[in-house]
Amino acid sequence: MAGAKKGFKPSQIIVAVLVVFWFLVCLVPFFFMLMCTLKEQFELLTNGVFSLPERLYLNNYVEIFTGTIWRYLANSAIVLVVTLVILLMFSAFAAYPLSRWKFRMNKPVYSLIIACMSVPIHVTLLPIFMMTVNLGMYDSIWALIGPYVAFNLPISVFILTTFMAGVPKDMEEAAEIDGCGKYGIFWRIMLPLAKPGLATLVIYDGVNIWNEFSFALTLTQTAANRTLPLAVQEFQGQYTMNIPMIMTVLFISILPMIVVFIFGQDKLIKGMMAGAVKG
Amino acid sequence: MERRTISRFLKRTAACTLALAMLLLAGCAGNTGNSGGDGDSSGKTKLTLWHIQTGTAADIIKDAAARFNADHPEYEVEVVDKVNDTYKSDLSMAINANTMPDIFITWGGQTMYDYVDEGLLYDLTDLMNADGYADTFVDAGIAQCSYNGRIYSVPVENISVAGIFYNKDVFDQYGLEEPSTIAELEALCDTLVANGVAPFALANATQWTGSMYFQYLATRYGGLEPFADAAAGTGTFENDAFVYAGEKIQEWVEKGYFCEGFNGMDDDAGQARMLFYSGDAAMDLMGSWFVGTIAGENQQFLDDGKLGFFPFPTLETSDADPSLCLGTIGDNLYAVSASSKAPEAAFEMIQYLLDDEAQVERKAQSKIIPLKNFTSDDPVITEILDAVNGAAGIQLWYDQYLPAEVAEVHKQTSQEIFGLTMSPEEANAQLQAAMESYLAKNS
Amino acid sequence: MKSITMSQRRRRETAIAATVFLAPALLVIAIFVLYPIVQSFVTSGYEWNGYSSNKVFIGLGNWVELMKDKTFWYAFRNNLVVMVLSIVIQMPIGLALATFLDRVGKKGNICKVIWFIPMLMSSVAIGYLFRYALDANTGFVSAISQLFGGGKVDLLGNPDTVLYTVIIIIAWQFIPFYMVYYMAGYSSLPMDIHEAALVDGATESQYFWRISLPLLKPSIKSAIVLSMVGSLKYFDLVYVMTSGGPSHASELMATYMYTNAFSSYRMGYASAIAAGMFILISVIAIVTMRLLNRKED
Repeated sequence: MAGAKKGFKPSQIIVAVLVVFWFLVCLVPFFFMLMCTLKEQFELLTNGVFSLPERLYLNNYVEIFTGTIWRYLANSAIVLVVTLVILLMFSAFAAYPLSRWKFRMNKPVYSLIIACMSVPIHVTLLPIFMMTVNLGMYDSIWALIGPYVAFNLPISVFILTTFMAGVPKDMEEAAEIDGCGKYGIFWRIMLPLAKPGLATLVIYDGVNIWNEFSFALTLTQTAANRTLPLAVQEFQGQYTMNIPMIMTVLFISILPMIVVFIFGQDKLIKGMMAGAVKG
Repeated sequence: MERRTISRFLKRTAACTLALAMLLLAGCAGNTGNSGGDGDSSGKTKLTLWHIQTGTAADIIKDAAARFNADHPEYEVEVVDKVNDTYKSDLSMAINANTMPDIFITWGGQTMYDYVDEGLLYDLTDLMNADGYADTFVDAGIAQCSYNGRIYSVPVENISVAGIFYNKDVFDQYGLEEPSTIAELEALCDTLVANGVAPFALANATQWTGSMYFQYLATRYGGLEPFADAAAGTGTFENDAFVYAGEKIQEWVEKGYFCEGFNGMDDDAGQARMLFYSGDAAMDLMGSWFVGTIAGENQQFLDDGKLGFFPFPTLETSDADPSLCLGTIGDNLYAVSASSKAPEAAFEMIQYLLDDEAQVERKAQSKIIPLKNFTSDDPVITEILDAVNGAAGIQLWYDQYLPAEVAEVHKQTSQEIFGLTMSPEEANAQLQAAMESYLAKNS
Repeated sequence: MKSITMSQRRRRETAIAATVFLAPALLVIAIFVLYPIVQSFVTSGYEWNGYSSNKVFIGLGNWVELMKDKTFWYAFRNNLVVMVLSIVIQMPIGLALATFLDRVGKKGNICKVIWFIPMLMSSVAIGYLFRYALDANTGFVSAISQLFGGGKVDLLGNPDTVLYTVIIIIAWQFIPFYMVYYMAGYSSLPMDIHEAALVDGATESQYFWRISLPLLKPSIKSAIVLSMVGSLKYFDLVYVMTSGGPSHASELMATYMYTNAFSSYRMGYASAIAAGMFILISVIAIVTMRLLNRKED
């Protein structure tokens, strides 16, 4: 930045161009998604996706907000929060011994968890559906929590293990000398130091859970127990789908996440900073 | 020290587990009496109905259920919206878990026969024949709902036969008239191509869209027998009729009769209709629900009288019956599960789907009700009805007639024929192999 | 004597503590992930349509078919293409964006939010938007081509281009994840290392190549493993945009399995595909991890 006063270096110009380019690459599809939500279906099909709406048409939003969307939103929020809490706790528990300790089962267990990352979810739908029905939990949002935790666990453990492995050994040793046991070290040292990893997981798993479709579709059926991603299916017919309405639903479901990300990112960054190892 | 932290750790874990358990219990408690037909606390018998209609068409069903519930306080019908895309898998999971809905839709052909063979469908023959109810339906519709001489479902939603819809403005602009033979159709297409208009709007990532051309051409060439024989194992898909269909399609593709990029376009998303509405493509071979689809998304197009229809042209050189139609009578067939606690009430609920109020609502949504006394003021729908009523027979969609795994191969190979990535001979041989493998497994 | 028992006791304590820490995760995984995959292995021994009471045991029949199934191996090849290109495209761009955001700090907040948006959009929305955008007749690629006098461009209906087109869109969707991932990696580096390096006279690019890149190595390695596993079992966007077509040109193992399970109703065969995927992906992931870690030592 030292050269800023004397005009821009070519390298800075290139960087600036790239930054703006990427800005547009990310923003333009989002913008057209927003435009889609402001059109009637015939307008989309006759004028195309890239035309601007002919007039301010908000009926899509009106129709959706007067429907059952609030219930879906509430369900999604409950599922998200409960799942995230359990998921982060369980994955932090698991990542700690895997990243720090030597014991005989370490490598086999770690390999098993890696292997579980590679399970394609669609074959698990039937067994999990049967299990859910047998437990009497079919058609309830609570039925989603188990699968959601389980299917995000392997990747979360994997990410956290990488982060915890990066914590310098001497911090752990110092704590041990101070009389901290293994459990104390976990709560007082590892967990705070793994915050950047946890923050990443909140984002990654959060988005996954918020948008999850297959389990939600399979394990719930009545409108009262559905989550947000299922709201689109009201507009998917046998021979046609109402794209503007679908886009509106999806746009509405993105908004809370953007808001959370905008307001939460400071906290997340602070969390990350607090976790940063002070040299 | 160590022990204290262990116990603290355990305490926290225990607390969390307990919280989790309570959540689960709360979930269970809030969930009693769902699915299955058991009576709930109010003493009502609950009936579940699965359908795949959307928007206002779904409202028809909900209105009918509300009428039924009002008339029958001892029952409560719960209408569950399902989505077409995953419908069959949802149903097969419910079958596995013994939680089948009391009333649900199925399609004709092999799908329904399999359900009957599994003992999953309640035999509706006696209920249908009471008071001559079955006679009010179009005969071909009842035939489609029957298997081994018994009736297992009710044709409710729509007469869905395929034909060629066209944009009248485009035809007028180039002075074109509805063709009645394939040769005339080809001449018409050549004119359109010469003028830079795509003759057919086709979105064939959807696969069944292109498959309709294959089915119609084969039917025009050889009638109903080649397909029926091939599916039964007494004939073969390497029959001349299927070779003709494949070769004709490839000839048309090479002449540019279909819009650019058709194999990558999705019909559900309306990519073909975009071209049809704008006049960049002149025609669309589609099922008769097309009228309802347009009414739902572009009423102006209908109001302007732009929509025209003609049956798939005939093949002069063939002696196959030229009146044959391709499609299904009823589309979604409503069935009652054999495990329903109140099959007769469930059947009555289905009748509410076609009672007088429902008929008015259906007509208003451009549905073609498969009842003998159904008439329409809409000129396009009347033309479709004429074609159906004059048909010597209905060729059921291949993908419903055939067992699912063979149907999948058919859809794949027909897309490959369109993409010119496979010769008709290879495609038909592959389809035949799939059919034989299925028959060998199930003989 | 005493020291042996001490170390033994330590080892036993570690083992117990490890069990306590690992138990919740392993329990959940066992119920919801391992049990279903074991079920898949069992089901793969049957000819079964998914609901019939008629479940015929055919031993290794499905596995033999799978070995000979050209479409499956073609799908596997496609998965490998997705995997390689995803790593090549997503890793550098994700790292570059993270590096930029790390350097500019708070000033880059707007960029951070906007750059993150693709990750938030659901695959259904992305799939349909790009479907329209790439439409051969009304899409923008065709429009640009025609503006310069070219013809219509058909990317999704052409078997030669469809896979690469989808790979680029997948990259668009997942780059933000790696951006966030590397940002987290940066934030766990020692804070004053950057200043210290500059004080020592290092240029920004020297700092990046000589100092931060080596320190980020563990993050990069695990990101590569994540990307590999994700690519090999990828499903969402391909299903929404092409369903594996046309002519299997964009078929992936997961879409092929889905078609077999839910369109063809060959549950037994679909289970064999799923179990095959499980084996292939696990082996590739674990071997890669071993290789990456060996290099380090």
